[in-house]
Amino acid sequence: MCAQPVTNTKEVRWQKVLYERQPFPDNYVDRRFLEELRKNIYARKYQYWAVVFESSVVVQQLCSVCVFVVIWWYMDEGLLAPHWLFGTGLASSLIGYVLFDLIDGGEGRKKSGRTRWADLKSALVFITFTYGFSPVLKTLTESVSTDTIYAMSVFMLLGHLIFFDYGANAAIVSSTLSLNMAIFASVCLASRLPRSLHAFIMVTFAIQIFALWPMLQKKLKARTPRSYVGVTLLFAFSALGGLLSISVVGAILFALLLISISCLCPFYLIRLQLFKENIHGPWDEAEIKEDLSRFLS
Amino acid sequence: MACRGRGGPGQPPSAALSPVSPGSLSASRTSAHNICMVSDFFYPNMGGVESHIYQLSQCLIERGHKVIVVTHAYGTRKGIRYLTNGLKVYYLPLKVMYNQSTATTLFHSLPLLRYIFVRERVTIIHSHSSFSAMAHDALFHAKTMGLQTVFTDHSLFGFADVSSVLTNKLLTVSLCDTNHIICVSFTSKENTVLRAALNPEIVSVIPNAVDPTDFTPDPFRRHDSIITVIVVSRLVYRKGTDLLSGIIPELCQKYPDLHFIIGGEGPKRIILEEVRERYQLHDRVRLLGALEHKDVRNVLVQGHIFLNTSLTEAFCMAIVEAASCGLQVVSTRVGGIPEVLPESLIILCEPSVKSLCEGLEKAIFQLRSGMLPAPEDIHNIVKTFYTWRNVAERTEKVYDRVAEEAVLPMDQRLDRLISHCGPVTGYIFALLAVFNFLFLVLLRWIIPDSIIDVAVDATGPRGTWTHQHPHSEDKVEDSGKCKTR
Amino acid sequence: MVLKAFFPTCCVSADSGLLVGRWVPEQSSAVVLAVVHFPFIPVQVKELLAQVQQVSRVGVTVLGTWCHHRQEPQESLGHFLEGLGAIFSHEPWLQLCRERDSKSWTCKATRRQTPTAAGEDQVLLIFYDQRKVLLSQLHPPAALPDRQAGDATPSARGLAVVFDTVARSETLFRSDRFDEGPVRLSHWQSEGVEASILVELLTRASGPVCLLLSWLLSLLSAVGSCWSRLRRHRGEQVCFWNRLKAVDPSSSHVPPKVGTGLSGSRSERSVPQLPRRPVEKPVRHVAEELQHLLQWLMGAPAGLKMNRALDQVLGRFFLYHIHLWISYVHLTSPFIERILWHVGFSACLGLTVAMSVLSDIIALLTFHIYCFYVYGARCAVLRAGGPPGGLYCLKICGLSSLWRLFRGKKWNVLRQRVDSCSYDLDQLFIGTLLFTILVFLLPTTALYYLVFTLLRLLVVAVQGLIHLLVDVINSLPLYSLGLRLCRPYRLAGSLPRRPADPPLSFQMQPLPYSRVVRVYRLPSCGCHPQHSWGSLCRKLFSGELIYPWRQRADKQD
Repeated sequence: MCAQPVTNTKEVRWQKVLYERQPFPDNYVDRRFLEELRKNIYARKYQYWAVVFESSVVVQQLCSVCVFVVIWWYMDEGLLAPHWLFGTGLASSLIGYVLFDLIDGGEGRKKSGRTRWADLKSALVFITFTYGFSPVLKTLTESVSTDTIYAMSVFMLLGHLIFFDYGANAAIVSSTLSLNMAIFASVCLASRLPRSLHAFIMVTFAIQIFALWPMLQKKLKARTPRSYVGVTLLFAFSALGGLLSISVVGAILFALLLISISCLCPFYLIRLQLFKENIHGPWDEAEIKEDLSRFLS
Repeated sequence: MACRGRGGPGQPPSAALSPVSPGSLSASRTSAHNICMVSDFFYPNMGGVESHIYQLSQCLIERGHKVIVVTHAYGTRKGIRYLTNGLKVYYLPLKVMYNQSTATTLFHSLPLLRYIFVRERVTIIHSHSSFSAMAHDALFHAKTMGLQTVFTDHSLFGFADVSSVLTNKLLTVSLCDTNHIICVSFTSKENTVLRAALNPEIVSVIPNAVDPTDFTPDPFRRHDSIITVIVVSRLVYRKGTDLLSGIIPELCQKYPDLHFIIGGEGPKRIILEEVRERYQLHDRVRLLGALEHKDVRNVLVQGHIFLNTSLTEAFCMAIVEAASCGLQVVSTRVGGIPEVLPESLIILCEPSVKSLCEGLEKAIFQLRSGMLPAPEDIHNIVKTFYTWRNVAERTEKVYDRVAEEAVLPMDQRLDRLISHCGPVTGYIFALLAVFNFLFLVLLRWIIPDSIIDVAVDATGPRGTWTHQHPHSEDKVEDSGKCKTR
Repeated sequence: MVLKAFFPTCCVSADSGLLVGRWVPEQSSAVVLAVVHFPFIPVQVKELLAQVQQVSRVGVTVLGTWCHHRQEPQESLGHFLEGLGAIFSHEPWLQLCRERDSKSWTCKATRRQTPTAAGEDQVLLIFYDQRKVLLSQLHPPAALPDRQAGDATPSARGLAVVFDTVARSETLFRSDRFDEGPVRLSHWQSEGVEASILVELLTRASGPVCLLLSWLLSLLSAVGSCWSRLRRHRGEQVCFWNRLKAVDPSSSHVPPKVGTGLSGSRSERSVPQLPRRPVEKPVRHVAEELQHLLQWLMGAPAGLKMNRALDQVLGRFFLYHIHLWISYVHLTSPFIERILWHVGFSACLGLTVAMSVLSDIIALLTFHIYCFYVYGARCAVLRAGGPPGGLYCLKICGLSSLWRLFRGKKWNVLRQRVDSCSYDLDQLFIGTLLFTILVFLLPTTALYYLVFTLLRLLVVAVQGLIHLLVDVINSLPLYSLGLRLCRPYRLAGSLPRRPADPPLSFQMQPLPYSRVVRVYRLPSCGCHPQHSWGSLCRKLFSGELIYPWRQRADKQD
């Protein structure tokens, strides 16, 4: 009763159009039903070693945080003279600065149009402000309990790791927030150090390792992947070594973490790809593939 | 068939007593149903679902059925209201959670809905929109109460992300024992069948409609010295406003006589404003802001070309309205759009700036060379495509079919839930269904069905509404026009 | 159809005659104003009515006849009265009759032009006290503008018409039955001429008397306050000399301060005798308390962990400020006292003036608290558009914008919303550095702000209370209240008729006091509280300044 009897349909072919009255009932199911269904058309095939290589960004960032904490611990314990750290930091910054330009032969600098004078100015601003504020930093958290400061620093460093721009295109990524959280943590930790010079050097070091070092890393990764792998390994081992000198258990845990991130996780990613069943069809929301920001910039 | 009684267990006595005019009865060959439309989206909210419910209800009333609408309270609009032809609307005091959709606990609405269903002697529950929590609640309660259920899906969903996985699961549960499902396009049908794991036989395709008398061309309103492109949509990501922001500078640089009129409001308006500022197109790109439905026609007739940049669309009413106004339509080829208009009336493009620009250039070329048919001709073609009377007729067939089906008894319903919805979800919802049933038993014990007042039927040609005002006869005849509020 | 006939109680015992009054067709009611006694000449009656009509613009006509049987019923009189209907044609023609025993009344209303049997209507007789109705004013006063404009169509609203009619036909009441005029009337004046004159005189006089009384009252209060000031001063002198003996001269650096209010003033005569160290116990107490408070804040108040360095700086700053203020007051106190003494005499201008002066003096003498508050909150001078210059507000503003920077956002001034923005590395660094510092310093500043805000709120509350009191006194309708107290019937409420046994009688319901106050409230000077509680809290939180009253100029800005 729901529709007219299906007569003379042999001649008339069903069409997937709505604007014509067709001699089929409304709930007619044609052979062509779901013929446009596709599965896994956007599924990517991953290569194991490529994924391991990509995971090195995470490893690097974890190591950065680890190195920072280790250095702070040394400073706090008085095992590391601030002058020495300052000297090393300055030297490595200069080396990094030269490397930064050497790797791509000054292309990036030309593209961004940033002058050396601007770099110098930024460096001056960093140093002046940090030096000027270091006595304030020293007394800033006097009345706040050490545990509070530690908890805050841990949260901030975790936030730094979460929001860091690892190259994924997700809404949660915010490199600004990530960097700010790292600086906040470093200021908190620096205020626990015995003297204002310590605080100054600690904050400077934080800028070097959280702001400048990732920039160099990114360039290294893009230009010379091999040396990047070497640097990553070196960095990871030095972080592990530093941690080992403080706590053996911590070092073992950290090593396990690094291994699981760089080896186990890629393995699981590739294994789980086999179970992927993604349905696509004309009902999918279309993706805008072009870069539309060019119209606005 | 015609003697099959009128509707369900009891007809409102007032309607039964009232003399039936033979003329109005002859219009409906089949039995009359007592239909309850349930959705969170209804007037005063505006949109496709809202106007669909309203127009369908009006045409069903015209065909002799009793129709009521149940929605949630909108601000001060609460309680019971009557619209044209005595269409009774219940605005229930339920909390709105997000985007005009009510919060659901699956149980809290049962007392109210049961009271309404009993008091209105409803036989068929027709829920609308998968975004509406209330619609799903009503389906759930209706099945508990043993009423026939119909569901209309107005939207498309993907399968890619986590949220869609969850919503699709819920839809599976909600539709697993619904008697019949209506989709607005074939693409929408495929989508719904996949999402809810349905038998395609119980899914009908009944397109939306537009009122062609509301969208008539007016060639004198447009300036032929320039070319005007009209865009009417909400300015959100899903409607492809980002694409539009790329098209505008591209084409405006190429064609100095090209103008854009953009109607609608939304969070993406800002990027259009930025584009306009950046390329200094203030005199050529007009942003009208939010449009009332009645103003849409006046905007449409000012243009030559209608541009639709949607990224997903089940059935695009906007392009039908635009074509009905005699505009050349350029649209993205997404969702059900290719089914809506014949090739001669629409230029379909891929959802990218490049392809859309090419489509628009093609339309501009046709316009300049005079290859486009006259607006009146387009209107005359389009007006035969989609009418609400046709929609109501086809929906009525669905009701007739559903009325003959048996509602699954409780044990079978539980079996079906468990077997159809997967082990975990199935058992959870079977348990919830049992709770719901117990709750219903409790409610029936507190207030038995027999002591609930029967509502006076005010709708349609047989309603008391018309009999108390005999001079409004012509109004009833006129209801076929189904004027939007 | 029921006719309503309003009949004045004063005419109950009048001799037979004609009923003069007004016919209100809309209400189908007749308002009887007076009775014209026999004998009369119809032409003269008509003339009189025409005169009255001209002056009062009320359609006063002959409504019917009044028949008061003192002796045996006279058949002839009845016929005669019926005949009068032909002379004074009125539709409908009322016939009121009162039997001798004063219990039985007969009322008839006939319509001549309707030939049917329904020509006789039922009549509902309502008695009213004419004098009271004349003098009283119905509330709500709907008919008032009509009367002033002299409009011929009065407000057609039920009772208002009755009141209006009676009030406007005052000319009718000029002549009465004791006059030697051609027409003798009976109405409220005729109840007893002497008594009514007295009553009228008293009524007329009551207004000025009320005014006089209130003036006397304020004078009395002013004199009283002056007297008390003088007395207190005399006592103080003794006190002072006693204290001077007790106080060690070396403790002269203890900061003295002028007291609050009128109590701190001194007579001209005594100033030269006094050294410039007026010691006032509450004042010294306040100063000491403030210093104690600051010292407490400079420690670890309530166990809060404050930044020690900033705490010390702020504490010292405010202590120094108190020191400055005290020395300033110390220097200027003789002049201030003299000024206050003179200003104090303004109290004889009335209670409200005195209270306003008191409020201003409080504001003047708590200026240091205000200053603290402003330092703590923001700079008042820079309020109009300039950057906020106070501690707390600056801090809140800075923190909120730095928090946006922290998240990589910025405030878009043009679009009034938060946009995302990519900052340079050095901007980020400095911003975060400042953010960290401000976050850790916020509790210290907030505490100072909180304490001074509470002090300020106290002062504001006192000032606001005084303003409220002044406002109430200013806007209280004393005359109306007095009238309501002494002559309740002058202010008739809206429901003056109370159903009683037939015949109905008009009972004046005096206006309740609350409505008297509401209706006759004078327009106040508009010292409404400026904030709702929510906005007050918001302002307090964001460090904006608060004032006890609304400033008109501010509102227009």
